[in-house]
Amino acid sequence: MSIGERARPIDWWLRSLGLVDYTADLSEPAHLHAAVLRSPHPYALIASIDTGRAERMPGVRAVITHADFPPGALYQHRGGPLSDRPPLAGDVVRNVGQEVAAVAADTREQAEAACRAIRVRYRPRRAPLTIAEARAPGARELHRRTTGLRNVSVRWAADWGDVPAGQAAAAHTVTGAFVYPSVSHAVMEPNTTLAAWDAERELLELWTSTQAPWFIVKEVAGLLGLSRDQVICREVAVGGGFGAKSKISEHEVLAAALARKSGRPVLLELSREEEFAANKPRHRFETRLRTSADADGRISLFEADIDVDNGAYNHMGSSVLRVGVITLGSMYRPDGVRFDARLVDTATQAGGQFRGYGTPQVSLAVESQVDELAERLGVDPIELRLRNLGAEWSTTLCGYEVTTNRLGPCLEAVRDGLDWDARRRERPAGHGLGAAVGMHGSGAYAYEFANRSDAAIDLFEDGSARVRFGGADAGTGQRTILAQVAAHELGVPLDRVEVLSMDGEHTPFELGAWSSRGTHMTGSSVGQAARELADRLRTLAADKLGEGRIELRDGQAVRGDSSVPLGDLVRLSPDSVDGVLSHETSYLLEGTEMLTPDRDTANLSPTYAFAAHGAEVHVDRRTGKVSVVDYVAAHDVGRAINPTMVEGQIAGGAAMGLGAALGEELVREGGRVVNAAYVNYALPRAADLPRIRPVIVEGDDPAGPYGAKSVGEMSIIPPGAAVVNAIYDAVGVRVRELPATPDKIIDELARQEGRVRKFRIWRRPDRWWIALVRWAYPRGLHHALHRWGVRFGPGVGPGPDAEPQPEELVVAAGAKEASAALTGDAVLVGGGTDVLTEARLRPARPARLVSVGDAPELRVLRRYADADGDANAGADAGADAGADAGAEADASELRVLRRYGDSDGDGGGFGLEIGAAVTLAELAEATERLAPAIAAAVASIASPQIRNAATVAGNLVQAKRCWFFRNGFPCYKRNGALSPCYAVLGDHRFQHAAAGAHRCQAVTPSDLATVLTAYDAEVEIVGPAGRTTVPLAEFYTGPGETVLGPADVVALIRVPAAALRRQGSFEKLALYSGDFATASAALTAAVDERGAWSDVRLVLGAVAPTPWRLTAVERAVEGTTPDLATLRRLVDAELDRHADPLPGNVWKLDAAAGLVEHAAEHLSTGKGAER
Amino acid sequence: MTGTTDLVVNGERVTVRADARTSLARVLREQLRCTSVKLACERGECGACTVLVGGVPRMACVTPARLVGREVVTAEGLGEEARDLQEAFADHGAFQCGFCTAGQLVHAVAVLRGPVPGGAELEPYVRRRLSGNICRCTGYNGLVDAVCAVAEARA
Repeated sequence: MSIGERARPIDWWLRSLGLVDYTADLSEPAHLHAAVLRSPHPYALIASIDTGRAERMPGVRAVITHADFPPGALYQHRGGPLSDRPPLAGDVVRNVGQEVAAVAADTREQAEAACRAIRVRYRPRRAPLTIAEARAPGARELHRRTTGLRNVSVRWAADWGDVPAGQAAAAHTVTGAFVYPSVSHAVMEPNTTLAAWDAERELLELWTSTQAPWFIVKEVAGLLGLSRDQVICREVAVGGGFGAKSKISEHEVLAAALARKSGRPVLLELSREEEFAANKPRHRFETRLRTSADADGRISLFEADIDVDNGAYNHMGSSVLRVGVITLGSMYRPDGVRFDARLVDTATQAGGQFRGYGTPQVSLAVESQVDELAERLGVDPIELRLRNLGAEWSTTLCGYEVTTNRLGPCLEAVRDGLDWDARRRERPAGHGLGAAVGMHGSGAYAYEFANRSDAAIDLFEDGSARVRFGGADAGTGQRTILAQVAAHELGVPLDRVEVLSMDGEHTPFELGAWSSRGTHMTGSSVGQAARELADRLRTLAADKLGEGRIELRDGQAVRGDSSVPLGDLVRLSPDSVDGVLSHETSYLLEGTEMLTPDRDTANLSPTYAFAAHGAEVHVDRRTGKVSVVDYVAAHDVGRAINPTMVEGQIAGGAAMGLGAALGEELVREGGRVVNAAYVNYALPRAADLPRIRPVIVEGDDPAGPYGAKSVGEMSIIPPGAAVVNAIYDAVGVRVRELPATPDKIIDELARQEGRVRKFRIWRRPDRWWIALVRWAYPRGLHHALHRWGVRFGPGVGPGPDAEPQPEELVVAAGAKEASAALTGDAVLVGGGTDVLTEARLRPARPARLVSVGDAPELRVLRRYADADGDANAGADAGADAGADAGAEADASELRVLRRYGDSDGDGGGFGLEIGAAVTLAELAEATERLAPAIAAAVASIASPQIRNAATVAGNLVQAKRCWFFRNGFPCYKRNGALSPCYAVLGDHRFQHAAAGAHRCQAVTPSDLATVLTAYDAEVEIVGPAGRTTVPLAEFYTGPGETVLGPADVVALIRVPAAALRRQGSFEKLALYSGDFATASAALTAAVDERGAWSDVRLVLGAVAPTPWRLTAVERAVEGTTPDLATLRRLVDAELDRHADPLPGNVWKLDAAAGLVEHAAEHLSTGKGAER
Repeated sequence: MTGTTDLVVNGERVTVRADARTSLARVLREQLRCTSVKLACERGECGACTVLVGGVPRMACVTPARLVGREVVTAEGLGEEARDLQEAFADHGAFQCGFCTAGQLVHAVAVLRGPVPGGAELEPYVRRRLSGNICRCTGYNGLVDAVCAVAEARA
């Protein structure tokens, strides 16, 4: 009994402590470190590559270029004309990030420095970066393709079924264009390889983060001219795959080639930036779909025209396109399907295999239109899907031979789980419910031998067993599932079964974990091996116990009252070798068909899984923010071999699908990924999700091992459509392009409500110059600056000649000392949270750090007698609230402060003095009762870990967070006046100014700046000229730029007593919990007993380059009790008077005005919220 | 590297090599072999390198090693205090690939040292507190369930 058990992962103790070794954790064999030189251009001819200088640099052991591979070496993938990708670029690069050279050196820093010293002469050429550009007449052709269509690598067009009958039956038809963008796997363990070359034995060993060692061996051997026997993968822990690691990437062969050339083991770890920008994300699909149904709601016809963004090389695009298209002919049973799909080359990173494999993209379109039809027909969306269920044991239009199908019960589980009927009837404003369904195979017959899986089992004399299989478990739980299978068949306790995976020397043939085939294929092969071994054990036992019915249980062979331990049978067996009885077997799947280019239909998989998901969302009409408040995911998984793991796959896949539905998207500018960092990639954090409620609709599928079907990919398919259907139900906005970010909701709501903002730039001469520059950007100015202007700047990274500088650390005891130490290029450090990241990305930058994080005078946090306030109000306040800035701060002051926490209490005559080096966490604690709006603002910043380290002054003076500025673009602020601002034409929806911007469109990122401006805070600065005090409102001179001189140090922030006596609230719109503000609003006011406001401060954050006080609104509401409508009208008027947004961020003005409404509502409670 | 600094890591006093900009995470992994401290972003954005510094959760990848000053505890040093959490992690499916898990565990230990709200406030509290630790596998279901279960069991 192990099948069906909620068994713990077999290595749970070590894995939960982080003590299993992932590739980068291996200290043996001792190794060099590698770095990769990548193309900075989307398309360029390579005139020459000179590695001479790099080779002579200290620590460098090997440098490789394309010349180190056999001429014409290409990744095979499917082979034939589709193979087009070299391991290193030869005479042309076709995407930013393409690998050009690689270096192995003693340290990573040396390898990176040597990469910078390689001289590559590029001749950049224009090339298409989007599907539309690639298909336009005259676009550069990236490859010679055989389709006869410009930049179309693969075209698949066909009819399935009876299209005319479908047309004839159509009573209702809906059409629409849908986009599912390129999203990143964002696996937690970056792709990593450790390679070791044994020159004597001519043997290559690899420890690599892969889901499928077999493919790695095949490709690496091919590229290095080795036989497959010469390449051996070893077992290592793998930190997440989701498809990203299911086929060859580039790090494997580069590490291997470097190891062979240097004669030393080499470790190549991708950085997080490379993981986002240079790996192979989900293919963007642009799907134009027409769905028809008859008068009863029976779907009769799908007609689709699909473009798939291939990226610069064929990786898995051809099969992703096919699997995507198959969605049209598998899920429902229309009379006919007509499709024309093209895989389009663009000069961007190649797309790759990603959980769901094309199905989520097409499902978004199909499942959205099923809802649109339901509305036309006046039928409940779940009911319409129930009417269109496919039959069990039947063949679909795409050739799938469906076995069991429990989609109906799944839909009913969603209906019951969400209390669908009642909640759709009685939903609160802004709430909506949506559902979507999906279907996925259990392992596709996509490659030769994909229908075969070998496995072996060893039984030891101590009665323990070991499963050996050649696949890899990147986190799915496959090793535990296989141990359960072996334990079940052999009658051995689960904790007596170990598993060896991946190892090419000691495990038999197996293609690996991809296409949801792990449980089906290896569950079958290991089950078969275990059953065959069990038969052998029973035969051995019969010699000992006599003939009859022999059972294997609890590690014994049992016949009646007599038994023999299995370990004894191992000893008895003549086949045992060195105390081990081994059994190996080969499982061959029958009845599936391989999908080849010459056929349009095939039964790819032995069995098909189904699922129905239902979402309840809340849409904030004021800010456009969509929150999922409840989520039910019901899955037909056949039998659950380990229900906890099945639920884990369901919840994990659904969460990933919700990320793509609501926030995730790789944003590119000029072919370069803009948001190659978690901070800029809105994947869900724990607080962004509700508890996902998995429902296992158990069945028993005769085709599967122990009745099981797949689950790993299924769960990511329905969330996109479930969410957009729920959004439509909530606010009537039909989102057809994911992710459903607030800008799309607000823009559509504004359109529906007929709201138009007028900015009257012609009446504002101060904006004319900016208007002219913006007008000129798309008309050649951007191109000229980007192509030529940037050459006049110093560059964004360290130059090729940058030498690492000796590092110096000055620990300053106070502001004066720190100021004196700030000479030359020295940098001030508070918590260090920004400095180390900058140091890694720009290593040759100044290396003198001046630390003030522990300076006692900067660590004060206390009340002070405010000249403006009544200093005698507190009975014993005078004793504690001395104003001597030089006094020692210690924990007791924090306690004192908490005692005075209540603003209505004794401390009313005292201001708050915050030392520059007080951490955000300390400030939040101190202001929780004193000024809850400040605490709310702090709580919305980054993460608890960062707030425990980051300082108040560090937060206030942090550089702008513009993703172009931070992520390596040679922008105007980074690279000088002749460089462009990439935000003008790039994606500026979230992070850029909608008012007051000049050549740089960035904003001041600090939430503290916004809220403390509303509290009339002052900044005390210590510099060469002594102490000065500046109101925070005058502290900022530009986006994340301040009045501070090079040797100035922020010492204190003071919040006056009068401000602390006011009510306050802070509201923030962010794309995920802890993100920088897309927009924020801070409001403080004295509210009298009649509710009238006075002394009002209203400040917007992240809307203008600096915190923006809406002074006209403040004056207008002074002395009144503004109702929300009036307030909104006043805010809108002031916004329109001063704003000058970019085309993509007009919506932010609506969102900001909406945040003001929230802030006004919450003013009395003092509570704020992150939205 | 030019400098050295003294640290107390998991109860042991050690002297390590560190430049001004050497991160605590690199020192822990490369010199002290505390490989539970994972590097997934090296930008202070994911939480996989979460350690306790003076009992407070910090991102080791953006903590300058020479500015640590207080005792450092990694997953290797949690000991008995983490046992029930580890068991709950395993029982609730709190991890799949395991790469973020040690950071989650360290952070969860710190969360449960403090007062935690009960009843309906517990789950949102745990979600907020753990929002600095990205998990890409589980959708946080198992993780949040596990921490809540231990919080309730210990209450």
